[in-house]
Amino acid sequence: MLTSLHARGALLSIAIFVVFIGIWHIAVTAGGGPAGLAVDPEYAKLVGAAAAVGQKTPFPTPGEVGLKLWSQISDPFYVRGTNDMGIGIQLGYSILRVLMGFLLAAAVAIPLGFLIGMSPVFYRALDPFIQVLKPISPLAWMPLALYTIKDSQVSSIFVIFICSVWPMLINTAFGVSAVRREWINVAKTLEVGTIRTALHVILPAAAPTIMTGMRISIGIAWLVIVAAEMLVGGTGIGYFVWNEWNNLSLSSVITAILFIGLVGMVLDLMLAYAAKLVSYVE
Amino acid sequence: MTAFDDPFNPEIRLGGGCSCGAHTTQAAHDAETDPIAGSSDVETLMARSVEIAVMKEMFGPDVNRRAFLRTVGAGTALAAISQFFPLAAAKEAFAQTMGPIEKTKLQIGFIPITCATPIIMAHPMGFYAKNGLDVEVVRTAGWAVIRDKTLNKEYDAAHFLSPMPLAITMGAGSNPVPYTMPAVENINGQAITLSVKHKDKNDPKMWKGLKFGVPFDYSMHNYLLRYYVAEAGLDPDTDIQIRAVPPPEMVANLRADNIDGFLGPDPFNQRAVYDGVGYIHILSKQLWDGHPCCAFAASKEFVTSMPNTYQALLKSIIQATAYAAKAENRKEVAEAISAQNYLNQPVTVVEQVLTGTYADGLGNVKTDPKRIDFDPFPYQSMAIWILTQMKRWGQIKGDVNYKQIAEQVFLATDAAKLMKEAGLTPPASAMRNHTIMGKVFDPTKPEEYVNSFKIKRA
Amino acid sequence: MASRPTITVEGLGKTFPGARGGSATTVFSDIYFGVEEGEFVCLIGHSGCGKTTLLNILAGLDKPTAGGVIVEGAEVIGPSLDRAVIFQGHALMPWLTVMGNIAFAARSRYPGKTKAEIAAHCQKYIDLVHLTGSEQKKPSELSGGMKQRVGIARAFAVEPRILLMDEPFSALDALTRGSLQDELTTICRETHQTSFMITHDIDEAILLADKIILMTNGPEAKVCEIVINTLPSDRTRADLHHHANYYPIRNHLLEFLVNRSKHFKDEISAATYDPRRPPMTRPAAVPVPPPRVAATP
Repeated sequence: MLTSLHARGALLSIAIFVVFIGIWHIAVTAGGGPAGLAVDPEYAKLVGAAAAVGQKTPFPTPGEVGLKLWSQISDPFYVRGTNDMGIGIQLGYSILRVLMGFLLAAAVAIPLGFLIGMSPVFYRALDPFIQVLKPISPLAWMPLALYTIKDSQVSSIFVIFICSVWPMLINTAFGVSAVRREWINVAKTLEVGTIRTALHVILPAAAPTIMTGMRISIGIAWLVIVAAEMLVGGTGIGYFVWNEWNNLSLSSVITAILFIGLVGMVLDLMLAYAAKLVSYVE
Repeated sequence: MTAFDDPFNPEIRLGGGCSCGAHTTQAAHDAETDPIAGSSDVETLMARSVEIAVMKEMFGPDVNRRAFLRTVGAGTALAAISQFFPLAAAKEAFAQTMGPIEKTKLQIGFIPITCATPIIMAHPMGFYAKNGLDVEVVRTAGWAVIRDKTLNKEYDAAHFLSPMPLAITMGAGSNPVPYTMPAVENINGQAITLSVKHKDKNDPKMWKGLKFGVPFDYSMHNYLLRYYVAEAGLDPDTDIQIRAVPPPEMVANLRADNIDGFLGPDPFNQRAVYDGVGYIHILSKQLWDGHPCCAFAASKEFVTSMPNTYQALLKSIIQATAYAAKAENRKEVAEAISAQNYLNQPVTVVEQVLTGTYADGLGNVKTDPKRIDFDPFPYQSMAIWILTQMKRWGQIKGDVNYKQIAEQVFLATDAAKLMKEAGLTPPASAMRNHTIMGKVFDPTKPEEYVNSFKIKRA
Repeated sequence: MASRPTITVEGLGKTFPGARGGSATTVFSDIYFGVEEGEFVCLIGHSGCGKTTLLNILAGLDKPTAGGVIVEGAEVIGPSLDRAVIFQGHALMPWLTVMGNIAFAARSRYPGKTKAEIAAHCQKYIDLVHLTGSEQKKPSELSGGMKQRVGIARAFAVEPRILLMDEPFSALDALTRGSLQDELTTICRETHQTSFMITHDIDEAILLADKIILMTNGPEAKVCEIVINTLPSDRTRADLHHHANYYPIRNHLLEFLVNRSKHFKDEISAATYDPRRPPMTRPAAVPVPPPRVAATP
């Protein structure tokens, strides 16, 4: 009998996975069973296996996807030309863009959030802008970015910047303004200067809230980069997905989706770990 | 007829087998090559064979030399040629035209379609390297993107649709930037593909209400599709829907039922057949045999600020175009450009497009060696036709100085000069009459031509 | 002329503007009292009489709307390291360890000291409040009493001239409160620390204070009277209630909290009450021993 909650959970996970794969396999293979019409073998040689029997190329089976996955994992970092690079390289480009846009956003949002959180005047002055700019879909900035920046790489980084800046800005401002009065008072009675108070009292006090903002931001950034790369093209996992879809190579699309999910999870776990480092129990 | 019709027919009299050595009989050879060549007189053909042999010698070793040997056959041919033509002197003359190259590392954008064959194949087959260039060919998602990246100077030069440089120069759809089109890449090579669910609608008169994809608003595809349906009595703006779909997305959209058909570039017509999604209704060659499609284009600034780079680049493209034009090279070219780094297509799909022996999606195997062809010469009369269609469909308004714009953008003189240097024969005039669906177009009377159509916006 | 007290509170008043155009509320007004060097003063009053506001004004964290506070000859205009505060909630920074919290204060007082010197300095006060061994613990790992001990150590670590305490033990259970009171008593007596504490615990006031200020209920709270502790200065929590004066004081204070604080307004109008010199009482069953400190002016 299984007593461990972990073991039972894992068993159920595996069971769900197996059932899912089974249903997928049956659903895909069931449709394309009997041959439609017999065709000239000369003609059959020129078209795909499904078209030769009057069918459309079907959805890939789990086995085909597994094979694709294996070939991608076994050689993830090859570069065979500008337009033919391993999945690891594609993911690397996307991660690099996300990190650049994200760090840039953090460099702007955290100091600005401090200012807004500490100064009611700034809060009132900037609030209308934030409220209007925040709900804009980051991809809506893309044409404007392409037009003004005139560089598709920088434009996609800009789009990441613009989508990650708001959660961090708002959370920082909130975290800073919500720092307990007592701690500020302690610092005041100890005649601690503004900078030292900001760095040693407000920053650590607001850090968990700021980290939450950063975690939301990186999640959004990772969602947006895929869409941005589909628009801009060139490199990156988003372009890879679009390209493989255009090429009707659904196995690659599925494996890419899997990788996108995994990388998103890893990014989230990393920030969750960082958040744990700065969190405190009151 | 193109500038690269097979020149080797006379040589068959020298020995057994075929002239290129790749076929057991001359009949088999002829089946793969152009029968028109046989009609020219012996003297002309001999001269051209020499010129082409010299051009091939320029290509140097490796793949190209193998191709050369396969084409010309034995070393005796070489010996024969050198009697007529001073090879060393020719080499020198060719080298003299090349000054030091201002910029060797270049980025060239392309759309993954067979129209881009010369631009693409010049990379794996070494045409760029041979001319001292280190070119990176970058696959690009769509025409608007390739236009913007070229205007933003991310690309030094790019694969354009031939109407695009005209549109950019005139500021239609973008800010006006002086653009040049020194070479056409391909002629023909497009087709109308319909979804398999429209197998019965084999007449454009039955197309009312269908949705069609074309690569771009400023494309031969758009103008040809409009022309075709208008000839069938449908108004392309009201009776059918035409939307711009980047070529790579056409098959996926056809499969997803977002469009009912498309007039698009290959290999996507053939790919639709390969995947059982669509069938080829008509080849664009059947609408206008020899129509231009895609082009190699660069900004006027690039041409004037880096003339030697430009020349080396243009030379690479013209050499590649010449190589691709030969029917016997097509299989090799198909293999080279099908790779994931370039077109990313099954080889058989690209091969069917380039060789012209193809499955039509209705169970028939058809043959048309001129399904796609390659001819670099930018006839200015073609530019004028494009302008008349822009005018016809209201993309440009008011008076158009057809000839001036055509001359400014379609750099026929440059192409002619380089073609001559490369040992090719450019046509004597950049202006000629064209026949589109049986109707003759006279480039000297563009305004009358526009007015002759019943369905138009102008 | 008598020497000036360490703290002089003169005519202090605090009025909050009315919210949304409502009438303004005067929490307290006309508060006068003094705290002598080395004296321990407690202030007792019901909640709502502005005790915490008063303490914040003494600390320099809040500003009065009338009158002022003079500490060692200078008017209070802001917080100062010379006036350490022990807050009601311990106000420890939860992301710092015990040592970190105390060192944060010590470094503010002695910015020139090296890391090791600061650590040694802090260790002294950690030992003083019996937290030896818990230096590297975070506040969340400590019990309520231990947390407040850190608060005390932090206040003492800046070696202030005056210690201000805002109901420091009110959140603790009775047993813990008792032992902390004992420790505070010991430390304050040993160091002759000038201290001012707000409390609503009568026994705490009797144990710790030399002088107990009684404040009436707000709004418009006033100092009702000042009670001089008549118990011997070496009193402890254990023997406190055996002393004959214990119940008189306790009853006096209780009577004040239960009855008089509500009806003090009547007392003012009846008697010749001068807010500048609130009446002083020495509730006792036996003759009052000589005062431990010099009489207030």
